[in-house]
Amino acid sequence: MTYRGTGPYRQLARFARLELLDLTELVREIFRYRELIWALALKELKVRYKRSVLGFMWALLNPALMMLVLSVVFSTIMRFSIPHYAIFLLSVLLPWTFFSQSLSYAVESIVGNGELIKKVSVPKLVFPVAAVVSNIINLLLSLIPLALLVVGMRHPFYKTWLFLPIPMLALIIFTLGMTFFFATANVYYRDVAHIIQVVLSAWFYLTPIIYALDFIPQNRQWLFKLNPIIYVINGFRLAVYYGMLPRWQSIAASFVCAFVALAIGFGVFRKYQDEFVFYV
Amino acid sequence: MSERCSAASTVVVRLENVTQRFRVIHERPDTLRELFSKFLRKGVSYHDLDAVKNVSLEIPQGQMLALIGRNGSGKSTLLKIIAGVFRPTSGRVRVEGSIAPLIELGAGFHHELTGRENILLNGLLMGYSKEEMKKREQSIIDFAEIADFIDAPIKQYSTGMHTRLAFAVATEVDPDILILDEILAVGDTAFQEKCFARIQDFRRAGKTILFVSHAMALVARFCDRAILLDKGSIIADGDPTEVVSFYKSLTSPDLRRPNKSRTNS
Repeated sequence: MTYRGTGPYRQLARFARLELLDLTELVREIFRYRELIWALALKELKVRYKRSVLGFMWALLNPALMMLVLSVVFSTIMRFSIPHYAIFLLSVLLPWTFFSQSLSYAVESIVGNGELIKKVSVPKLVFPVAAVVSNIINLLLSLIPLALLVVGMRHPFYKTWLFLPIPMLALIIFTLGMTFFFATANVYYRDVAHIIQVVLSAWFYLTPIIYALDFIPQNRQWLFKLNPIIYVINGFRLAVYYGMLPRWQSIAASFVCAFVALAIGFGVFRKYQDEFVFYV
Repeated sequence: MSERCSAASTVVVRLENVTQRFRVIHERPDTLRELFSKFLRKGVSYHDLDAVKNVSLEIPQGQMLALIGRNGSGKSTLLKIIAGVFRPTSGRVRVEGSIAPLIELGAGFHHELTGRENILLNGLLMGYSKEEMKKREQSIIDFAEIADFIDAPIKQYSTGMHTRLAFAVATEVDPDILILDEILAVGDTAFQEKCFARIQDFRRAGKTILFVSHAMALVARFCDRAILLDKGSIIADGDPTEVVSFYKSLTSPDLRRPNKSRTNS
């Protein structure tokens, strides 16, 4: 008999293979239920904007009005020494808003659809995925006022905008992973939905969104670099504000963070999904 | 008669020793605070309840089967296991053919969406494609008789309209196995007759129907077979008329018992 070893590498390889199986299942299921996911996402948007006079226009107006407020506050009252601060800010604020909105909606997606889950045999993953998809639509729509702002403020309209799909993909994968995890946790402990709001607001200030990473003293920067989301949203600011492409290490780091979040989040979700029906 | 026997040769639903155990936690900790307080008081108290206990059942194709029994006897749990909503604690479940996985009609309806949007959403939830649902949309609207309201949000519907639409969606998609959980009590007589006619069509087409009802007259009138559940076990299985009369003989003394105990105490 040959010695086959059970060293850490072997364990790691096994783990990676398992996660890869999970992820192919995720992709397959999303594809299989794409029509349902799309219908649920549209339902969410319709219900969100129902009975407001402007309807879908709010998806555009919301970021536009926020931009107006921010540019007034920061360019006339607070005065940072950053030119075109509104663009500097919004280039990462929009992806951040996508992330935090998706998380706040999706954390309730299993519990909120509890009545449905108890009566219909339907793959549970469609609910968090649909919550994220509806926010993807919002994110894409909010890029329109950002582009208008760039033109309006006579900030150069860089070719690097074309690069945006790459950080967007990493952002979506990262967000999906987080939503799977927290939607699962919320089934068992409803506090999660409240805690997540606090966590998100703390996370917001700890992430270089309203400031740049350079503002942090050199010897403390390593701490901020432990925050996975900075790799994910950094690409947005570079492409839109600086007209630069991130270094390949940074892109790689963003995708590593994204896939680790997805592997853990979906792994947990998948393990518990058959039990959801007893707890919602 | 011989036709029915040949149709009965294929089994479409097979349950083998199926048990569904629920852990009934007394004051289940719903929040972290409760969890901590439970933790301090050492452990959570619970008891296990077998809602369905070691049930084996074969349903041949084309049969209209009634599940009867008192509240809490496990009828709905059994239906949910067959529909795939619950994964049983132990035992094996095999279902062949498409099944409308809806337990309550109209479960997938959202009150802010219009009738038309709900038809699509409900169909997708049941696993049908958008294309299929678009094809059937008109006949669903016709059957439900709600042409004037189809583009209004369904929160404006009357209960009857709601039920008609739900029944139309569930039956128009043409599943191999149809689950009807206590729905025929709603709707006016004319629509009820229409529903019965449609159920008869289903039976003629060789579809399997699982029917839960407390209306014993309907069970005896429509079904080929009845199963009586009590505390999660099958205690009678066979000819609907016989099972219904057995059930009645069991329940009638039960109904008097509370009175008796009251006079005793």
